[in-house]
Amino acid sequence: MNDAPRLVVESLTKTFAEGEREVSVLRGAALTASVGDSVAIMGPSGSGKSTLLHCVGTLEPPTTGTVMIDGADPFALSEPEIARFRNSTVGFVFQDHHLLPQYSVLENALLPTVAFRSANDSQDRARSLLDRVGLAHRLDHRPGELSGGERQRVAIARALINQPGLLLCDEPTGNLDGPTADSVADLLLELHAEADSVLLVVTHSEHLAARFARHVDLQDGKCVER
Amino acid sequence: MRRALAHYWRTNVAVGLAVAVCGAVLTGALLVGDSVRGSLRDLTLDRLGALDVAVVGERFFRRDLPTELLEQPDMGAAFDSAAGAILLRGNAVHGSTRARASQINVIGLDDDSRSMLADTEASDVFRREAETAPASVQKDLNSPFPPITLNAALADTLGATLGDQVLLRFQIGAEVPRDTLLGERETDEVVGTVRGVVESIIPNRGVGRFDLSPHQAFPLNAYLDMERLQAGLDQAGRINAVFLSGALEVSDAAWEDLANALTLEDVGLRLRPDPAGFVEVSSDEFVLRSALVEATERAAGNLGVPTLPLQAYLANAMRRGAEVVPYSMVLASDAPTTPTLGRLVDVDGEPAGTLADDEILINAWTAEQLGAAAGDQLEMDYFVVGIDERLRNETSSFRIAGVLAMDGLAADPQATPEYPGIEGVDNIADWDPPFPVDLSAVRDVDEVHWDDYRGAPKAVVSSATGARLWATRYGATTAIRVAVPEGIEAAAFATQLGSEIEAAISPAQLGYRFLDAKARGLEGATGATDFAGLFIAFSFFIIFAALLIVAMLFNLGVDARAREVGTLLALGFPARVVRNRLLAESAVVAACGAALGAVAGITYARAMLWALTTWWLPAVGSPLLFLHVQPGTLAIGFLLTVVIALGTIFIALRRLRALPPTRLLVGDTRPQQTVRHGPGRSRWLAPAGFAIGIGTVGAAVATGNAANPGLAFGAGAALLVGGLAAFAYWNNRPRARVEVARGATWRMALRSAGWNPGRSLISVALVASACFVITTVASNTRDPRNEDGVVEEGAGGYRLLAYTDVPLHHNLNTAEGRFDLGFSDDASDALEGVRIHQFRTVPGDDTSCLNLYQPQRPRLLGAPQAMLDEGGFHFASSLAADYGAESPWELLAQDLGPDVVPVIGDANSMQWILKLTLGNELVITDERGRPLRIRLVGTVSESIFQSELLMSEAHLLRHFPSRSGFSFFLVDAPAGSEEELATLLESSLERFGFDAISSAQRIADFLIVQNTYLSTFQALGGLGLLLGTFGLGVVLLRNVIERRGELATLRAVGFPRGALARMVLAENVVMLIAGILIGVGAALAAAAPRVVLGGLALPWTSLLWSVVAILGVGMAASLGAVSLTSRIPLLPALKGES
Repeated sequence: MNDAPRLVVESLTKTFAEGEREVSVLRGAALTASVGDSVAIMGPSGSGKSTLLHCVGTLEPPTTGTVMIDGADPFALSEPEIARFRNSTVGFVFQDHHLLPQYSVLENALLPTVAFRSANDSQDRARSLLDRVGLAHRLDHRPGELSGGERQRVAIARALINQPGLLLCDEPTGNLDGPTADSVADLLLELHAEADSVLLVVTHSEHLAARFARHVDLQDGKCVER
Repeated sequence: MRRALAHYWRTNVAVGLAVAVCGAVLTGALLVGDSVRGSLRDLTLDRLGALDVAVVGERFFRRDLPTELLEQPDMGAAFDSAAGAILLRGNAVHGSTRARASQINVIGLDDDSRSMLADTEASDVFRREAETAPASVQKDLNSPFPPITLNAALADTLGATLGDQVLLRFQIGAEVPRDTLLGERETDEVVGTVRGVVESIIPNRGVGRFDLSPHQAFPLNAYLDMERLQAGLDQAGRINAVFLSGALEVSDAAWEDLANALTLEDVGLRLRPDPAGFVEVSSDEFVLRSALVEATERAAGNLGVPTLPLQAYLANAMRRGAEVVPYSMVLASDAPTTPTLGRLVDVDGEPAGTLADDEILINAWTAEQLGAAAGDQLEMDYFVVGIDERLRNETSSFRIAGVLAMDGLAADPQATPEYPGIEGVDNIADWDPPFPVDLSAVRDVDEVHWDDYRGAPKAVVSSATGARLWATRYGATTAIRVAVPEGIEAAAFATQLGSEIEAAISPAQLGYRFLDAKARGLEGATGATDFAGLFIAFSFFIIFAALLIVAMLFNLGVDARAREVGTLLALGFPARVVRNRLLAESAVVAACGAALGAVAGITYARAMLWALTTWWLPAVGSPLLFLHVQPGTLAIGFLLTVVIALGTIFIALRRLRALPPTRLLVGDTRPQQTVRHGPGRSRWLAPAGFAIGIGTVGAAVATGNAANPGLAFGAGAALLVGGLAAFAYWNNRPRARVEVARGATWRMALRSAGWNPGRSLISVALVASACFVITTVASNTRDPRNEDGVVEEGAGGYRLLAYTDVPLHHNLNTAEGRFDLGFSDDASDALEGVRIHQFRTVPGDDTSCLNLYQPQRPRLLGAPQAMLDEGGFHFASSLAADYGAESPWELLAQDLGPDVVPVIGDANSMQWILKLTLGNELVITDERGRPLRIRLVGTVSESIFQSELLMSEAHLLRHFPSRSGFSFFLVDAPAGSEEELATLLESSLERFGFDAISSAQRIADFLIVQNTYLSTFQALGGLGLLLGTFGLGVVLLRNVIERRGELATLRAVGFPRGALARMVLAENVVMLIAGILIGVGAALAAAAPRVVLGGLALPWTSLLWSVVAILGVGMAASLGAVSLTSRIPLLPALKGES
């Protein structure tokens, strides 16, 4: 295993325009994570947690600063290359699961593999993952037929389908009740443990955060390791 | 509410603008209707000036009549002024270029009539136009030819300019009806000519567009000074029309006034006091019309004196064995009741008794010539004029009942009227009557008898026999002798009798008519075609698309306010209250949009009128349509728009009912589906639609109805429904799993299209319906000149039809008739074997779609029996089965009662213009002023008879007996010879204004209106489709906005923007192409039989361009949605924020 950190974020700033005013959300944030790290990112609302996650996940380019993943700067790539990079390297789990209602559970899990025809064994892997998250019996069900926890588990399976190096979760249990949230958290940690990945989780929940090895607070747009 | 309206102002403005589009189109269409009606009204006022009512007669009358009419009590009270005029139909030829114009009005005016017509009460628009119009240029030409004024339309047709010579031809009024033995039928006697010099050319307005008949097209008018025209007509001091101004209608009392004002001279009656003790009443028409006979009998009855009606006729020969007496006058009379009226005594001095039907009395001279005595048989040859106006030699046998002494009536030259061509000649050898005579048969003794007795009758038959053998439809009696009471001078009694006859005359029975031209024009200005309805129909797609956009934009607004609605519901507001609040806000927006639409409607109407007078001119035939804005129409347009827009919004609001507050609270307004869609109704609707469509097409082909547009449209509609149902079935069917394979993006697009099947179906249906209509319309655009069977079906196989301005009185089918009409030998030979049907006509209003006015008195054609026997034409419907007739043409000959006449008309004209269905009756007045019910018994499809109604010649002559001569013709020209024959006939009959046109061209002329309507529909449909495609864009936009979370997720999991764009594009293109294929396919399948069997040529190029335009605009809308896809901000979308 390479000892170099998988994720290196340096001097990251992100500014949004709000009318004629500019709002700086991140002001020189820095973060490093290596394979096997599970990091909980915390902070009050509007502190820039999700923005940091989206910048790390290549969904939003930083205003300044760098994001290096496995030694590469994804933002130096073109948009299709970034998409391919994100597809192969990053897995996302959102608070609102964002499953596509017209697709079945299995198809939702397979969606990332469709974008670039990732691997020939994706069907088997999807079934295996869904089995792993306890939904083997609901492969052909639509999201509308699932409970909140089940939907989030499908979202986790989808995030892991391409075996990403970075698993990014934005309030993954925010919409779930306590027991369901715990089971989802268990699942995330279990799957993370089985994969060679970095797990970054944005959460307000101290209870959830407590289950992660590292804790980072976002204060004044900067990452402060606890 | 104000704050809500202000806060969501962007959405509200968008919805309001969409409502305004809908309102503009609706109000605009209504204003087009107003404007057409208003313009027709203006045109009526403009063409008639101050003229309200015209009095017209079948013959010329005194020029003093207008003045005398105003002196009558009721007429004087009703009308302010009266003026005389001469109105003729004719043709014109340019003196040097020989350019020709037929169907022109030759108008003789004096100062009074000219100023009455120039006194226009037309609308401001016309006055304004008139002010800007170039004034007519007057030029003193010092020419020997009379000055002629042309209106611009005629000048343009002839290419005439000031100073040019123009030859005007018109029918000369005949005193003796031309279709009687003594009627003059020589061309020079029939056609009058005036050669004049164009002194001025006046614009086509005011006097320049004068015409008594309501029609929006410019008439072709030539004006002459009245005296000049009177001279050309040999009618010095006489006129044939009185213009009245001051009242729109005439009362019954006006008829009495007219009767009082008419003199014996006006009705052609002559009274001759005879010293023998009677007054002879005769007519300058030679035969006394029955109305005059009745008036004279009534007058004599009032005076208590006896009468003796006499009927004189010419026998070509009286024969007994080998002995012949040529050319003898024969008298039909009953025995005089009093000696003063005349005596019939035999050679023994005994008064003659009553004669049986086959008995004859001959005078002593004739008995001697024939060597005949009482009891012998005698044969008599004589001419009669058939219904075809041909002379036929007929023979009757009589038993000689006695021999008359050369005394009394038998020796009285006054017993017979003076025959034209015979009167005043010294010798029979000098006779020049209007019928053929063989003067070689005349012997010296005949000349001696002529010298001694002139035209005294040589034989007498009973009045009944005379009527049976020689009566014409004008009457039989040639003179009535009225006994002078004792003690009164014959001359004094003649005056007394004259007054009595004048009082007994019924002007209506003598063909005098009050023509309430202005009232008829104003009434007809309501229009045969409802242009408001037409333009609402034409603009249907625009209205539909605008409403679709209203619904879509409104829904977008609701989507944006989902959280607000959810919150209100969560706070305990009843759903009804929330809905009503949104509705109330919408009402304000709709009202503002509708108000804006009503104002914009004026611009839309102006644009439509501009298009109607330029691009779509053939549909209206007049560039003189001006905008008329009625406040009431604006209010109706406003209210209609508000109601329709609110109705649409109300329907759109219903979807909120299905959404729980919890979903609304998170801004989710998507339809939630947990169960896969099933095929539902589409499972059976698709095969049913296809089966009905294909079955209808098959049945149409099998039954020979391939050309029936109704069947084609029905079949197409069924196929359209089938196609849409098939799409719905396909779109709803379970899809293959999305998996890692080539074409995954494509499959994802299909899956997305299937996710909201209702919306997808609406999008496809919108495009398909528009394509269907546009293709159907394009496939209905017709050019009969390139189609098979049109001439057979619409013109009975007759390849040429023709009109003349001056009726022909000879038979074009015989060499003799053609000779009499002045054909050269070569021209006559060329016509040998060409069959021509000749029709009598009764002028009236054009009932075709070329006339915007509602016809009040349709033009009538009298179909000859030979044509009815031949049959032909394609009937759309008939009452043949109800009346037990084998052919619909047989129905025309049926006797349906004394005042009912069966008629056949063109199906389109009956349905759309006269609005008559089979069995319906239209009441007109016959020639004698009596109501005549014309009953529709059959309709012919797409025929040459759109401008008139067909009745049998026999019926026409019964009710319009004075319609002498033929002025409409059907020519059975061999294929390919139409042009040659038309040229030959037109040049040979130029003096009559013979105007021939190919039947296919004639049908094409009618179809040009239909085609123009179709292109109007196509253009406005295309505009609606563009708007609809914009609506499709809104649908797509809404789709993307609704699915922004989904699209953001796909990007988050690594889908590049390009892939998503392709996916959204593919999804839209699927719907677009499905719509185009279904719509165009259904329409083409329905039109296929006509293309394959009927030789219909589809306008592929315009069709292709329409489809390309639809595809292009649809793609543009799709690309708009795609562009939005790539601009969706990821973070808010992923966080579920709006």
